[in-house]
Amino acid sequence: MSDVIRSTGAGADAAPASGEGSESGGLMRGIFGEGSPTFLTTRVDFVVNWARRNSLWPMPFGTACCAIEMMASAASKNDLARFGMERMSFSPRQADVLICAGRVPYKLAPVLRRIWDQMPQPKWSVSMGACASSGGVFDVYSMVQGIDTIIPVDVYVPGCPPRPEALIYGLMMIQEKIRGETLSRHHEHRSEPAADVGRPRASAVEVAALSLPFGNSTRQNRASGLVQTMPTERPGDRIP
Amino acid sequence: MPANLRAAHPSVVALDAHFGDAILGHELVAGDEHVVFIAPDRSFEILQWLREDPDQNYNYLSDVTAVDYGGGRPIQVVYQLFSIPYRRHLRLKAELPLDGLEIESIVPIWQSANWLEREVWDMFGVTFRNHPDPRRILMPEGYQEGHPLRKDFPLRGRFSRAEQTRRALSQDPEDYYVPSEMGAGRTPQLVPWQEFAGGRAPMSTQTDPSVEEPRKS
Ligand code: SF4
Repeated sequence: MSDVIRSTGAGADAAPASGEGSESGGLMRGIFGEGSPTFLTTRVDFVVNWARRNSLWPMPFGTACCAIEMMASAASKNDLARFGMERMSFSPRQADVLICAGRVPYKLAPVLRRIWDQMPQPKWSVSMGACASSGGVFDVYSMVQGIDTIIPVDVYVPGCPPRPEALIYGLMMIQEKIRGETLSRHHEHRSEPAADVGRPRASAVEVAALSLPFGNSTRQNRASGLVQTMPTERPGDRIP
Repeated sequence: MPANLRAAHPSVVALDAHFGDAILGHELVAGDEHVVFIAPDRSFEILQWLREDPDQNYNYLSDVTAVDYGGGRPIQVVYQLFSIPYRRHLRLKAELPLDGLEIESIVPIWQSANWLEREVWDMFGVTFRNHPDPRRILMPEGYQEGHPLRKDFPLRGRFSRAEQTRRALSQDPEDYYVPSEMGAGRTPQLVPWQEFAGGRAPMSTQTDPSVEEPRKS
């Protein structure tokens, strides 16, 4: 915002100097009345980022309980539309920011990756909740341990589930992030090698390093058939 | 098990009379839930009789599931039945040893068993003979790690997380979201109404006088 004020200010300063002699209007007959300029100088980066960050269309990828809070943040009380997320875009082709709200099982991982691949650049993503960010309490055979192993993530919103305020704050952090982007480094930020489409974002070494502190499938120990600990009691055994 | 406990459920008495040595045991759990252990090789016959006998008429299959108590004990396949006309619940269990996990499919008796049996196959590895569509239902089609709800299955799966991620992303979602399954391109099979009524005991709203009215407490 300050950028605009500075730009118009510069224009207004320049206007009297250039338009001093000409009474005929032209540049001098602006929308703000006589004496204001009809043009505006600013930076392309600023205008582009301003447009992008104020019309972020979310692609809701709600898979579990977190999605309820995502719906609540779009509903009237918290009203996501105030921040430019006017339209929940249920088609990835028209979306700008993917909100992954909920746990993602391995069966859904290729779907998530494909939806991300289908979204056009520029695009951002929010990982909402403990499950999407890290697998949460579901450290089990079927669950992706953090969607950042599948797609790049811009903002992680912690919580189980995060409150709507937290999600809105996360989206506003994306807006802040967009504010700092520049077109001259667009390619650097936004290019995706074709070979990456449909591939996991994290390498095998990274995924292994992420899951190692929590024990891997080969190191766990529990009352299973593999590691016999004690006899399991059947409910029926308790009947006299 | 005292005999009067069996007598509390007319179907248990009738099963005893009809199938004798195929009824391996009876158990009362949670106060009033009757569980009958049946011989797995005669399960189809017993379940068909329970559905078709006019005095039993268990026309609603609530659930087919399985239990693994671990420690090398047999896996129990559980059939939860309900008779809408008689308002009666009955649970049947067939115990399968771990080296012979195979039982007859009951899809010909109750169509609803189709997905339920697929789930038992997926989660426990119990093979259902003559099942019309023996595929996995919850895990991806190409899942190589085994049957996850078995007690001998490691909690985090058999492969490392990196391998699981690689395998998950190497599949095409369209491999298992088949459009014809969603309804498109499938000819609906219309069953004449008579087929439901004929050959089966007519649905009656009268309850069996020998059955106690459900307790109202
Ligand atoms: S983080 Fe909590 S609320 Fe969100 S999907 Fe996981 S369990 Fe549900």
